[in-house]
Amino acid sequence: MLISPELILAIFGMLVLVVDLIGRARTREWLPWVTVLGFVLAFAATLYIWGSNASIFAGMYSVDMFSLFFKLLATIAGTMIVLVSIDYLRGRTTRQGEFFSIFTFSILAMTMMASSASLLMIYLSIEFLSYTSYLLTGFLREDKKSNEAALKYFLYGAITSAVMLYGLSLLYGVSGSLNLTDIATAFANTVDPSVRTVALVAPALVLAGLGFKISLVPFHQWAPDAYEGAPTPVTAFLSVGPKAVGFAILLRVALTTLPIYQASWIPLLAVISIITMTLGNLVALRQTNIKRLLAYSSIAQAGYMLIGLVGVNLTGNSPFSGLNGVLIYLFAYLFTNLGAFICVIAIENATGAVNIADYAGLVRRAPFVAALFIIFFLSLAGIPPTAGFIGKFFVFGAALREGFLTLAAIGVINSIISVFYYFAVIRAAFFLDAKDPSPIRITPLVTAMLTVTAAMVLLIAVYPQPLFNLAAWSMGMFGVVK
Amino acid sequence: MLDRYGIVAIFALLAVIFPAIPLLLSLVIRPKKPNQSKKATYECGLEFEDFPEEAQNVWVQFRVQYYLFALIFVVFDIEVVYLYPWAVAYNTLGPFALVEMIVFLGILILALAYAWRNGLLEWT
Repeated sequence: MLISPELILAIFGMLVLVVDLIGRARTREWLPWVTVLGFVLAFAATLYIWGSNASIFAGMYSVDMFSLFFKLLATIAGTMIVLVSIDYLRGRTTRQGEFFSIFTFSILAMTMMASSASLLMIYLSIEFLSYTSYLLTGFLREDKKSNEAALKYFLYGAITSAVMLYGLSLLYGVSGSLNLTDIATAFANTVDPSVRTVALVAPALVLAGLGFKISLVPFHQWAPDAYEGAPTPVTAFLSVGPKAVGFAILLRVALTTLPIYQASWIPLLAVISIITMTLGNLVALRQTNIKRLLAYSSIAQAGYMLIGLVGVNLTGNSPFSGLNGVLIYLFAYLFTNLGAFICVIAIENATGAVNIADYAGLVRRAPFVAALFIIFFLSLAGIPPTAGFIGKFFVFGAALREGFLTLAAIGVINSIISVFYYFAVIRAAFFLDAKDPSPIRITPLVTAMLTVTAAMVLLIAVYPQPLFNLAAWSMGMFGVVK
Repeated sequence: MLDRYGIVAIFALLAVIFPAIPLLLSLVIRPKKPNQSKKATYECGLEFEDFPEEAQNVWVQFRVQYYLFALIFVVFDIEVVYLYPWAVAYNTLGPFALVEMIVFLGILILALAYAWRNGLLEWT
């Protein structure tokens, strides 16, 4: 069954609701575990169909290694976020069943985005993910900030999705097909010069919708507000999930539909990448709220990832194909950023504090969390021996191979700037005195998840070969591009 | 070629005439009693001055629960949109479509059951 991961996620999304319906207070304790079971089964199903390369539903849905890579990523992210949200949601909401059900559906939307091979499917799956994300962002109904975040996120998303839909309609108009591969064939065979004009404008419009999901500048304004107001596990999800599958669609469209126009979209993406990382890093310098800081940091991270697509070159046998850089970066970023957010959740669960000033003296109050903050921030800044370094190594390497020296240099300078604000948090945690020196109690589940993410961040750096292989397999289905 | 555009022209002409007729007709047969509130920019034709005191106060509270009924209506709306074409083509579709439709209805019923169980159909 090629769509078994999706079916499992859909069934479990509804199963959680049923358990919530018929269960009593005791059985509702199982809800997160039912959800986790669904993710684990979907993960196993993805591994079971590993290696398939098929196009189903009249070419609308592509089950290939590229999509399976993102399905693995989605189910891993889903599992970890559910596990850390158990303690967070306790006392904050009574409607846990709804939360876990909507969350399962948002992971389902991610897997569908990864497989979308038609303009229609792309639009529908992006909307699916958007709506579930809006609901999750505004889930704490009594919390005004959560409501405000959801409204801003929704309004911004509605506009960018309208712009994207216009771009998609233009693509369909000039090519006469919704299928990404057929559009590429239509572009290759056309002699009409006006098609070229549309083929430059339409993807730029589509980029508005994808840039919104990935939080590229200038479509990033929603991110800090939505990240700040959303329940923190949802913030963690927003910073990795939609970003990853947004990249999946961006890569798929760029590499299957628009390779013949590569010379024209590369400068555009290069400029967006430079603006994104520079603005993200510079604004992050002035943040006092840790969730806003991580929001701007995740904007900057999207800029680094985009460098990989700018330096894409699938010819030859170089280890720096650009595409593998993006995939490796995304995988490393998944564990790093989730880890950083789990640290934030750990502190917030115990004290409710989300300001950097409250992290003063953290090393005495919660030494484990303080120590892990160093690992995750080292990784976000791209300093070895961490996973983030491996990711940056491959995207910058691809840019250098393709001769984008300025772009790579700006990337490196930005990484150095980012060290400043990451280590401002570390400085507060290690060198400032706490107002309230009482120790912070971290729940066992959160401790376990912190250990897992930190171990993965270090493991990827020490033994990256499996990840290299994973990235190499996943990009095998793309044709030679340059 | 030209006669095809002629059809379009006739359609366009009809499209203009058709809504114009009732407007003109009502202009002819309606009673003419203009007053100040009818000439207001946002008017609903009601003269609040003639109303009793308590009805003039339009700052009444609406039950916010109304939106829930609208949402639950969507369940039935989607149901009928898909059930109707399925029922019409039932003879040609066969048992597979029947199973699919049962699954589809099951999902919709779950939504309704969830709303019901959570007390959204109670008028409290």
